[in-house]
Amino acid sequence: MAVKTSAMMDKVRASRVWRSVFRAGTGDSTLHRALAIQQSIFLHLFSTKVRKRMVKFSATWYLGTLTFGTFLILVITGVLLMLYYHPSVPQAYADMKDLQFVVSSGLFLRNLHRWSAQLMVFLVFAHMFKVFYRGAYRTPREFNWVVGVVLLVITLLLSYTGYLLPWDQLAFWAITVGSNLSSAVPLVGNKIHFLLLGGNQVNANALLRFYVLHCVVLPLAAMLFIAIHFWRIRKDGGLYVQGTEPKPQQNNETVNTAAEVK
Amino acid sequence: MSDPKEFVAGIDSDQRRSPVRVAFVTRRTSAQVKVNREDQVQTYPEVLFRAVLAIELLAIALVFFSLLFNAPLEGIADPTHTPNPAKAPWYFLGLQELLHYFPPVVAGVLVPSLLIIALIVIPYFNINIEANGLFLKDRANRLRWFYAAAAGMLIFLIGFDVYVAVPPTVVVALAMIVAANSRPDSPSKFRRYLAKRPLAYWIMTWFLFELIVLTAVGTWFRGPGWAWVSPWRNY
Amino acid sequence: MHPIRRYLSSAWQALFGDAVRAFGVVSAVLLLALAIAPAKNQFAQWHQYQRRYLSLIHDRGDAVTLRRRFQPGIHQTWLPELGVVDRCTTCHLGLNEAGLGDVSQQPFRKHPAIPHSLDGFGCVICHGGQGPATTVAEAHHSERAGEEPILPARYIESGCGQCHQNALPGTPQLNLGRAMLTRYGCVRCHAITRPDGTRVMATDHPPSLVHIADKTTREWIYSWLKDPQAYAESTTMPNYKLSDADARDLSAYLMSSSTPREGDTALAATKAGSSADLAAGPSLYGQSFCASCHAVQNAAGNLVGGDVGPELTRIGNKAKPEWLAAWLANPRVYDATTLMPHYRFTAQQVATLTTFLQAKSDSDYGTGVHLDAPIPAQVAHGKRLIVELGCAACHEINGVQKPENFAPDLSTIGSKPLAQIVFLPGMEVSLPSYIVAKIRQPRAFGASVKMPQFALTAPQADALTTALLSLTNRSRSMPDTLRVAATVETNYQPAGHAGKLINELACFSCHRINGRGGDMAPDLTWEGSSVQRQWLIDFLRNPNTLRPSLIRRMPRFNLSDSENKELTEYILAVYQSPAVDADAVPDPSHSPDVVEHGKQLFYSKYACQSCHIANDKTDKGYIGPTLTQVGSRLTAAWIYSWLKNPQALRPGTTEPNQNMSDEDARALAAFLMSLKGQGAHGAKL
Repeated sequence: MAVKTSAMMDKVRASRVWRSVFRAGTGDSTLHRALAIQQSIFLHLFSTKVRKRMVKFSATWYLGTLTFGTFLILVITGVLLMLYYHPSVPQAYADMKDLQFVVSSGLFLRNLHRWSAQLMVFLVFAHMFKVFYRGAYRTPREFNWVVGVVLLVITLLLSYTGYLLPWDQLAFWAITVGSNLSSAVPLVGNKIHFLLLGGNQVNANALLRFYVLHCVVLPLAAMLFIAIHFWRIRKDGGLYVQGTEPKPQQNNETVNTAAEVK
Repeated sequence: MSDPKEFVAGIDSDQRRSPVRVAFVTRRTSAQVKVNREDQVQTYPEVLFRAVLAIELLAIALVFFSLLFNAPLEGIADPTHTPNPAKAPWYFLGLQELLHYFPPVVAGVLVPSLLIIALIVIPYFNINIEANGLFLKDRANRLRWFYAAAAGMLIFLIGFDVYVAVPPTVVVALAMIVAANSRPDSPSKFRRYLAKRPLAYWIMTWFLFELIVLTAVGTWFRGPGWAWVSPWRNY
Repeated sequence: MHPIRRYLSSAWQALFGDAVRAFGVVSAVLLLALAIAPAKNQFAQWHQYQRRYLSLIHDRGDAVTLRRRFQPGIHQTWLPELGVVDRCTTCHLGLNEAGLGDVSQQPFRKHPAIPHSLDGFGCVICHGGQGPATTVAEAHHSERAGEEPILPARYIESGCGQCHQNALPGTPQLNLGRAMLTRYGCVRCHAITRPDGTRVMATDHPPSLVHIADKTTREWIYSWLKDPQAYAESTTMPNYKLSDADARDLSAYLMSSSTPREGDTALAATKAGSSADLAAGPSLYGQSFCASCHAVQNAAGNLVGGDVGPELTRIGNKAKPEWLAAWLANPRVYDATTLMPHYRFTAQQVATLTTFLQAKSDSDYGTGVHLDAPIPAQVAHGKRLIVELGCAACHEINGVQKPENFAPDLSTIGSKPLAQIVFLPGMEVSLPSYIVAKIRQPRAFGASVKMPQFALTAPQADALTTALLSLTNRSRSMPDTLRVAATVETNYQPAGHAGKLINELACFSCHRINGRGGDMAPDLTWEGSSVQRQWLIDFLRNPNTLRPSLIRRMPRFNLSDSENKELTEYILAVYQSPAVDADAVPDPSHSPDVVEHGKQLFYSKYACQSCHIANDKTDKGYIGPTLTQVGSRLTAAWIYSWLKNPQALRPGTTEPNQNMSDEDARALAAFLMSLKGQGAHGAKL
């Protein structure tokens, strides 16, 4: 049975249509497998090979992968939720009720989105600390650490802007408390506050603004930086493994920092 | 590697081996090429499938969690009724807790900006790159600095009544004192570990402890008027 | 290796042996997990209720009709103007089915008949609960998202009160509650603003305490403050649960701040010479219809009499005789705004009544109260207490300002979020239960609560709660077109000397004129159009009742002839209705034929005798006024206009509009004008 399926899959992979779509071609050879990565617009961000040690769970706890996983779930559920949501007052709240009571699986979608968002924030922090404690921010990976910090900020902003959208008491006051902080910036505080909310207090303008940020601007920014983040892993020499890197205590000057050509 | 056959360009290669690097060494340099030979795996299928597997398991867990627990939804937003306490999302509750002690310009602007800047510059400072134990070199001098910094921080926190931030500071300071009095060849594995920790480690650990404690306090221990409440009490 | 373990490990190998296999297995699990949520929809509660409904109607005779009218799926009533999305009818499928009157099983019961269409108003406006919800728990009991749980049925009239700011015949509980809000002085401390911006004004008449020392003793004040209901069971004065020392100091301040009023003693001195006629006391009390306004506890302990004025059961314990005599002689000397009429008693009558009332006392009341002369610190403390307790919100007190916004505004109490309420342990978490508890036992909510203890029965507390629950955000946010405005008391003031007379006689205490006044007696706004001059003169001289079944009657005011004439002329000249055309019935003396035709119409075509009595020997109608003497009382033009359209003359009257032809109305008017009564009320007397 298993053989049959794999034979059939090979046939499919050998077909003209398949080959027109996937450039890597057929075959189980190492080359083909390398090509499968190289020749895909998405996968070519990764290197074709990974150190075996790094595949182990203990090395990374898969925190980066899982963070990306929550992001994927959020994009999918988020798009579905957008089908039922109007960023207007008070319709936004009524839409929450509709999701809960009349939309098929609407409550489930919202739950999944909400809990994934919370988990993503947690995972981003966990990922950051794990990377730090492994020392993986060191040369030549400095910039990828910075990209990571940017992604942390984007994640927080995504979660924060999404927090307002249900337009319930929880949302309204959390955003009010948070946005009032921006008023504390010296000199231009009130201007920033006004810019953030599109008004002097949280109202329908703020809702629309947060909606656009949450559904368009920030996800695009996140995707861009995630791509850079992944790509830099390959460019900076793959996942960091302690011991493969130059030992600073020996001789800091004679370091071979030339990026490994991949 | 002496067999010239290995260099024949072809479709086959050893998937377990690192790519071979070619280095041109001119006469004036004394280059060191460190060869790291270690086992590798193909990204496809080994890593990719594992990654997808991890994501799928996460998705399954989240699906069941979402089936069991409903996301919170309160009454419609009402600008005229301020809930008491009005809380920010949980990941900002650490900041909101600080806001209780410091003026908004400090807790709301200065602290988060400095945090982000600090995070960004971490890899660019040698002090962070250094992987030596903090107290292994220049011990007496560094110990003096440490005591001054720890005492200063505690006085500062107590001076502003930030008592909740004191326990994590004390715990980290005590761990550092243990580290200062441990040898890297100590028989205790734990003490060996502590002795080798660099400064960056200690600062980050302190930050992590404070983050956890402040967030936990803001989430569970704060009630109406941001007064201290027990999380088990129903208000 | 153990066989089971070997089996398990080989199974593990088969499923998760390598990454690809594991991927396949886990993907299948994920897809299954994702299918759970959509599958759950099929088991939604409303599906089950719709299936149960179908099986309920399956065996019924009208099954075909009912099934044709049944539509599967979620139903909703959407009223954007009111912000209503009600999905209750998804499960409550029989609400509009007239045929399901015999079904008592919820949620399929038929809705009782109400004046509104269910589709036009939805459910939650009256019943509360969460309209958009499609599960039983969320729709009925949810409070998490700021929704009110379903309103207990006994407060259902509060729903009417959201739109109807006026009194409705079908909402006695709401009407009572609203009346209590104004009568018990609630709105003197708590501001209540109606949706149209007008304030709800108090209708009670708390006495001024500026001259309190003329009226009563400090000992009585002390006892009264300690427990007002012990003196007069029916008083609206609440119990502040004062300590002995607080009551002592409060009474000390009230006495020391009181200023003497000259007339109180001067008048009494001039009348002192008159001797009381002890035997005449009860009859004078009865003839003056004091009981229309004042209640007295009878031997059985029941209160008999009206509630406009204070209860008089123990008046002898309270009022000083000289003050009482002065008050009876002319109450407006002591209190210019009192509701009590100036009766124009003779000196002897005053003495008689004073003696009669002084005898109404309880020898046990207030015994054991011995107050020493107050020291200044006690007086000062008494003043502080008066400010603290807000006494001046109701009573005028020398040296203390009337407080503004003394208690929380209640304009939207019916929408108070549960999150803002501190419930007592063991209390049901709902707004009605909170309001009832707060009204009945305010001090249970903490020692710092200033609100006093009112003496309310359970139905009274429920009525008040109903009125308060109607003060919702929705009642304020709905479009004005959907609202029925309150009838607000006007500031009508009759002019001239007659106007002064009307005030002195306190006509407004019972009668309503041009939107001002009480509802105990008929509205007099169009009195000039309706009655004949001679009848009015006679009536004012010696009022007779029109409706013998009523207990409360118009008292006799001992008017002088000139006063009588002045009042009569004023009423006839001013209180004229534009809707009554005096020329419509040119000749009040009709031929016997017409009168006979009118009689036929009265007894057969319109069957007026079912409510009225034209011949007290044969007729039994007690709903409307007796008409045996109507010909000497009313004008022909009024009767004619009244018959044509009663509601135009008195909106809300129960007299039906029969759409009478001019001819019928004229004939009936002629018949009625012929009813002059025996012993002729007219000429002499």
